[in-house]
Amino acid sequence: MEFTRRHFFSRTASGLGIAALASLLPRELSAAKGLSGLPHFAPKAKRVIYLFQSGGPSQMELFDHKPKLQEMAGQEMPESVRKGQRLTTMSASQSSLPLVPSMFAFKQHGASGAWVSELLPYTAKIADQLTFVKSLHTQAINHDPAVTFLQTGAELAGRPSIGAWLAYGLGAETENLPSFVVMISPGSGGGGQPLYDRLWGSGFLPTRYQGVKFRSVGDPVLYLSNPDGFPAENRRLYLDALEKLNRAKLDDYGDPEIATRIAQYEMAFRMQSSVPELTDLSKEPPRTFELYGPDSRKPGTFSYNCLLARRLAERGVRFIQLFHRDWDHHGGLPEGLPKRCKETDQPAASLVEDLKERGMLDDTLVLWGGEFGRTVYCQGRLTKDDYGRDHHPRCFTMWMAGGGMKPGVSYGETDEFSYNVVSDPVHVHDLHATMLHTLGIDHTKLTFQYQGRHFRLTDVHGKVVKEILG
Amino acid sequence: MLGRVLCLLVVVMCASAEVRFNRDIRPILSDRCFPCHGPDAANRKTALRFDVEAGAKPAIVAGDAAKSPLMQRVISTNKTLRMPPAYLGHDRLPDKEIELLRQWIDQGAQWEKHWSLIPPKRVKVPGNGVDYYVRARLEREGWKPSPETARATLIRRLSLDLTGLPPTPEEVDAFLKDSSVNAYEKQVDRLLASPRYAERMAMRWLEVARYADTNGYQTDGIRDMYRWRDWVIGAFARNMPFDRFTVEQLAGDLLPNATLDQKIATGFLRNHRTTSEGGIVPEEFRVEYVAERAETTATVWLGMTFGCARCHDHKYDPISQKDFYRLFAFFNNVPEKGQVYNFGNEEPMIKAPTTEMSRKLENLDRELADAEREWERVQPQLAKDQRKWERNKPGEWSITRGLILHLPMDGAAAPLESVEGKAGAALRFDGAKELAAGAVAGFDYLDPFSIGAWIKPEAGDGAIVTKLEDYFEAEGYGLYLIGGKLQLVITKRFTDIGLRVETESPVTPNQWQHVLAVYDGTRYATGTALYINGVEQKLKVLFDDLNYPLGNKEPLRIGAGGGKRFRGAIDEVVLYRRALTPKEALAMPVLETVPGIAAMKPERRTKAQAAKLRLAFLEESAPAALKRLEEARLARKRFYGSIPTVMVMKESPGIRDTFLLKRGAYDAPGEKVTAGVPAVLPAFGERPENRLGLAQWLTDPEHPLTARVTVNRYWQMLFGQGLVKTVEDFGSQGEWPVQMELLDWLAAEFVASGWDVKGLLKTIVMSGTYRQSSRVTPELLERDPENRLLARGARFRLPADVVRDQALAVAGLLVEKTGGPSVKPYQPPGLWQELAGGSGYKQGSGEDLYRRSLYTYWRRTVAPPSMITFDAPNRETCSVRAVRTNTPLQALNLMNDVAYVEASRALAVRGGIGEMFRIVLSREPSAAEFAALQQAHDGFLSYYRANPGEAERFLSHGESPRDKSLDAAGHAARAAVASLILNLDEAITKE
Repeated sequence: MEFTRRHFFSRTASGLGIAALASLLPRELSAAKGLSGLPHFAPKAKRVIYLFQSGGPSQMELFDHKPKLQEMAGQEMPESVRKGQRLTTMSASQSSLPLVPSMFAFKQHGASGAWVSELLPYTAKIADQLTFVKSLHTQAINHDPAVTFLQTGAELAGRPSIGAWLAYGLGAETENLPSFVVMISPGSGGGGQPLYDRLWGSGFLPTRYQGVKFRSVGDPVLYLSNPDGFPAENRRLYLDALEKLNRAKLDDYGDPEIATRIAQYEMAFRMQSSVPELTDLSKEPPRTFELYGPDSRKPGTFSYNCLLARRLAERGVRFIQLFHRDWDHHGGLPEGLPKRCKETDQPAASLVEDLKERGMLDDTLVLWGGEFGRTVYCQGRLTKDDYGRDHHPRCFTMWMAGGGMKPGVSYGETDEFSYNVVSDPVHVHDLHATMLHTLGIDHTKLTFQYQGRHFRLTDVHGKVVKEILG
Repeated sequence: MLGRVLCLLVVVMCASAEVRFNRDIRPILSDRCFPCHGPDAANRKTALRFDVEAGAKPAIVAGDAAKSPLMQRVISTNKTLRMPPAYLGHDRLPDKEIELLRQWIDQGAQWEKHWSLIPPKRVKVPGNGVDYYVRARLEREGWKPSPETARATLIRRLSLDLTGLPPTPEEVDAFLKDSSVNAYEKQVDRLLASPRYAERMAMRWLEVARYADTNGYQTDGIRDMYRWRDWVIGAFARNMPFDRFTVEQLAGDLLPNATLDQKIATGFLRNHRTTSEGGIVPEEFRVEYVAERAETTATVWLGMTFGCARCHDHKYDPISQKDFYRLFAFFNNVPEKGQVYNFGNEEPMIKAPTTEMSRKLENLDRELADAEREWERVQPQLAKDQRKWERNKPGEWSITRGLILHLPMDGAAAPLESVEGKAGAALRFDGAKELAAGAVAGFDYLDPFSIGAWIKPEAGDGAIVTKLEDYFEAEGYGLYLIGGKLQLVITKRFTDIGLRVETESPVTPNQWQHVLAVYDGTRYATGTALYINGVEQKLKVLFDDLNYPLGNKEPLRIGAGGGKRFRGAIDEVVLYRRALTPKEALAMPVLETVPGIAAMKPERRTKAQAAKLRLAFLEESAPAALKRLEEARLARKRFYGSIPTVMVMKESPGIRDTFLLKRGAYDAPGEKVTAGVPAVLPAFGERPENRLGLAQWLTDPEHPLTARVTVNRYWQMLFGQGLVKTVEDFGSQGEWPVQMELLDWLAAEFVASGWDVKGLLKTIVMSGTYRQSSRVTPELLERDPENRLLARGARFRLPADVVRDQALAVAGLLVEKTGGPSVKPYQPPGLWQELAGGSGYKQGSGEDLYRRSLYTYWRRTVAPPSMITFDAPNRETCSVRAVRTNTPLQALNLMNDVAYVEASRALAVRGGIGEMFRIVLSREPSAAEFAALQQAHDGFLSYYRANPGEAERFLSHGESPRDKSLDAAGHAARAAVASLILNLDEAITKE
C-alpha cells in the first residue's frame, strides 16, 4: 500500500484545520527531511560508509613504513621521542621499552607510490584511489574513551554519534530503511574489544536518530519478522484494522501523534519487505562474490557486511558503519594481525572498486581506520618471532576514498619511530569537520541545544583539512 | 526547535503586555551574548558583560533604545559592527528579539535577579491551587478548560500515572458504580497506598539515579546494587519525606548512628559508571567519578548544568570553574579506586542483608557462639582424651586436608643431584635445571592455596615453586627468593593486575629452613601470609591489585620458572588448595613424628611440637564439639558470603585536597579549593563542610531550587513535560516557567507539607486541570500545540516500562513480587555476544519473565532493547528529561516481540473481543470499533481454520503454558485480535 503524506492529509484532515496540521505536521514524518538550511553548501558526498577497525590496527605494520627501525630493533626507545608522554598503565611500569620494527615487508604501489604492507595486497592495488592520512591523532589512550571519541567527538559517553548527527541534520533519503545502519563482525577468533550500543546512539538527540544495528543472527532488524504462525497476509489484515481504529481515534481526539503512529506502522510494514529484499543476495551475480571473497556469502563476516553496505548505499541509506573487532594486538601481533588483514583487505578494497564500477564512489565517502595507533616499542615479551604493541594515540593512519576526497594522496608525516606527527597533523575533530564538509555541512553550524548549550560534533574545535579534498 | 515554537507562542501571547527581563530578555542575552559577554571570564572579549546589570551599563541607555549602543549594534547593517558578529558565523537577531530588546530598554531596562534564584513564597489561594492558577491564565487568554474526561478514561489515566499499571475491569466497575462525592478521591487514596505506587515511583528514580546492573565502560562488568534499588522502593512505599530522601542518599553514612538502611541509601552516589579497562590511568577515572557525582547532584537537586563549569567558567550561569570544584570537593573524599573490579562490587561497599537475612545471620551467629561455648566446655575432657590417645601410641600424621601435591624429593630425578635433605633426601638445583611437576595446581585468583617447602638456598635469587611462563612478568603465580627475601607473586598482567608481597627479613643462606606461602583467595595482600620456620613474617606489599582471572597452560615447576632458577637444595614440597591456618603453619616444619612427640614429656615439647600433636589428635579423634564448631563456622561463612553487598559512600580519614583542575584535566591541578557552594546560591551557613552539610543545605526550606526542581519533575511525570520544560536546567538557558506562579505555589506547598510526595501528587491529580479531557480541538492545536497552558488534559505515550508492564498485567501474566535481584526476561538471542563476545545473555525462566520492568537486568552497554526502543533512558548518566519518539521500530517491537505475542495469547484466554478491549482500555468498544475488530477476527479465524498448523505455531510463543483445551484456531484468532488491541495508539497512550 502506497502511503504518502499527501495521502494522509487528504484522508485525515476532515475535522481539523489544515493549516494547524500542516504547521504541526508530525515531527517523525518531517524528520526524514532533516534541518532546513542543510546542506549548507553543495555536498560532494551523499552518504558515508565507515569501516571501523576496532581495537587499533598497527600503523607500522600496515601503512606507516619506517625502514630505519630495522637497524634499531631491540634498542631502548629514546626518551627524546617519548617526551614524557603518558603511556597506558599496561606498559608504563614496564622495565624496558625496546623498539620493534615491522615483521612485514612494504612496497610502493601505483602511480602515487603509496607505501602499503604485504599484508594488504588488495588495498595496495587500489592505492591510487585512496587518500591516506598518516598524521591522525587522538587524545584517548584506552579503547572505550578512544572509540567513543571517534564516534562522538567526546571521550565520555553521552554525545550523539556521527551517524546520528547526520540523520538529524540531513534527514533520510529513503523511507523504507533507517538512515543510519550499523553492522558488526568479530575477528575469526570471536574475540576483541567489546562494543557498546551507545557508540551509534543518539546521545541527547531524539532516539529516532540513533543507528539501527543490522544483525547477522536472527532478524537483521530487531523484531522485524512476524511471529511464527502469523503470515504477511494476516499482518496486512491486522494493519488495516489497526489503521481504521487509530484513524477513528484521530478523528475523535485530534492528537497529531496518532497520525504519526499510523504512518510508523506503515513504515514498519514496508521495512518488513525492504529489509529482507536487502539481505536477499540471490540476485547478486557470481562475480559479486568473487569480488568480495568467499566470506561474502557468510552473514556476520566483514566481507558480507561490506557487500551489504554497498546494497544499503544503493538503497539510499545515509550513514553505514561497519565495525570489525579484534585489532588489539598487545601481544601475538605477528600471528593476529595477518588474520585481521586477511578478513578485511579484500572486501574493503572490493567495496571501493564495486562502488566505482557502479558510479557511486564519487558521492560515497568511504573511511577505513581504528580508534588509535600502536606503539613503536614492544609491549610484553619481545622474542625472535613474537611481539606486541600497546595503544598509541599520538599518530595513526586512516584511509579514505571517494566522496570528494583527493585520490592518490598520502597526507601528514610521522617521525622515524612513527611516534610523533612531524607534519600536517590531523586531529579527530579535524577528521569530523572534514567528513561533514564533504557532506555539505559546516561543522560549526550543525548544532543542538541541550542543557543550555549548543552542542556540535566537533565541540569547539575542528578544521576542515582542505588539502585532502578533491 | 520546540523551544522556538514555545518562544513564538509566548511572544504572541504577551506581545502587548509589559516586557519582563527574566521572561523575555534574559533568554535572548543568554543565548546570544553570554558566550562572549557573560559569566566566563576567560572568554569575555571586553569588560562589557550582560549577565550582570553593572557590566551592561555602557551599552544601555535606560528608556531610550535608539541611543543604546546595544540596540545600535544589533540592528546595524554594517557587518563588522553588527552583534552578534558575522565573523563568528552569527546571523542578525530575529526581528522579534530585536523588538523585545527595544521595548525593554524603552520601558526602562529593568533588571531582575534570575527567577529561579529567588525563593518561592507561600501564597494562600482558594480551592485547588493548580486549578486556581491554570484557570486564571486560561481566562487571561480567553479560553475555557476542557470538560472532565469520561470516568473510565479517568480511572485508567489515574491508575497508569500512580501505579504504572492499568485498572482491572473490576476496579473500573467499582469506580463507575460509586456515586459518592468523594468517589474519585477514594481511588486516589487507594492507588497511592498500593505497593505498585512505590514501584512506579522507583522506576523514574532509577533513571534519575542512573541505576544499572553493570559498570558501563568497556567490558561492562557486573555490579550488584539491587539492595539500593529496594531501598528506593521502600522509601516511596513509606512516603519518606523528600528532604529525608535527599539527606539519606547524599549523606546517610554521615548521619549520627547511621543505620544499615541509611548507609545503603548512599548507593545513589555510587551508581555512576566505572571502568575496569586495563591500562587506564586510575586517577583520571577517579576524578571522573567524583565529577559525575557533583554533576548528577547539581542536575537532580539544583536543576543546574554544573558540568559546563568543569573546564571553564560557565558561559551562561554565574557558576565559576572554582564553584564546580568546590562542589566537587564534597564528593572527593571517598576511599575508592579509579580502576574497579570487573566481576562484582567495588570498595567501599557493605554487606546489605535484608531483614530476613539479618535474622538468619543472627541465628547462625547464635549457633556459632553456642558451638564455641560447647567447644570451651569440652576442653578439660579433651585434654584427658588426648593424654589417653598419646599413651595409645598414635601413628605418624601430617597435614593432608586439601593436599593436592606432595613431592618428598627423595628419589633420583636426573639430571638433578640427590643430596641429603631435611626428611630423607632432597634435590639440589644448580641454578639452571628444573623439576617439572606436571599440570597440577592451576589455582585461579579467587582460589585459596598454600605452598610449602624446605629450602637450603645458595643464592639470593631463584624460583622455588612456579606456575607461569618462563619470564618474571608472566601470567600465573610463583614463590621466589628475590634479593634473599621470600616473595609470593600472583600475576594477571605484571604492569597493572596482580599481587606481590615479600618478607621484610631475608632467609638464611646455606641453611635448611621451612618456607610457607598462604593465600586465602580474597584478592588482597591482606589475605596473604609468608612463614619461615613456622613464624609469620612481616610483609612488604609490592603490588596489590589482583582483580582478574588467571590462565596459563604451563606445568608446575620446582626450582625454576619466571625466568629464575634456584641454586641450592629443596625438599618436601607441598601444595594445598586451601589457606593453612597459623597453627598448621607452626606445625608444618616440625620433623619430629607424632609418636615421637607423644612419647615426650609434655613440658619438654616445643610449642610447635605441641601444635602438631594437638592437630593430629583432633583430626583423628574428631570430637563432636569440634565438628559442630567447624560446621557452624562454615555455615556462617557460607551464608555471610551469600549476603548481597551494595556500594556505598564512605569518608576517608582526613580530607583529600581538592584542586581546581585546569581544562578539567585530572593532571593539571590549579588553585586549591575547599568544599562550598556558588555565591549566587544561598549561603552555606554553619553547616558541616561535608556531604551531610550539603544535603541539609539543599533541603533548607528557603532553598530556591530544590523544591521547584523536584515538583517540576513530578509534574513532568503526570503531564508529559515540566512547567519548566528544561527539567535539567533552571538556569539562564533553561526555559522560563510557562506557569511560574503555579510552579512556585506547588514548590512552597511541597516544602510546607514537610516534603510530602504523596501529598503533592494528590494535590495535582485531584485538580480539575488533571482531570480534563485530553481531546484536541483544531483551535487548541493551533493556539497551543504543546498544551503548555493546559486547556486540555495531557495525552502521551506510556513510558517503556509501563508499555511492557501493562501488557503483562492485562494478560494476567504479571508476577507481583517486590524487590530482589534483577531478572532477565525475554531478549532476542545473541545481542550481548555480537558486541562483547562471552557467554551472552542467560535468559531467565518462570517468574523471571513476568516481573515488572524495574526489575529487568540492565546492562548499560547493551541495554534491554524493548526499553531503549521505547525511549527509556540508557542509564549511562543521570536522566531527568522525559523523551518520547514515535518510530517504526516501536511498531515492530510491539507486534513481534515474543513478550507481546505471548501476552496476546494469554489475554485471548480472558474473554472475547469486547472483554479484551475492556481489559486493556478500561472502556467498552464503540459499535464501529467492535465491528472492525470482529471483521479482523473473522479473517484471522478463517485463516487458522484453513491452516491449523499455523494456529498451533502462533500459539507456541512464550514459555507460559497454553490452555490446550481451547480450540486452537479460535484461540489464535483471538490472540491476533488481542495483539491488535495492545498495538492501538490508545493502548500505549495515557489518554
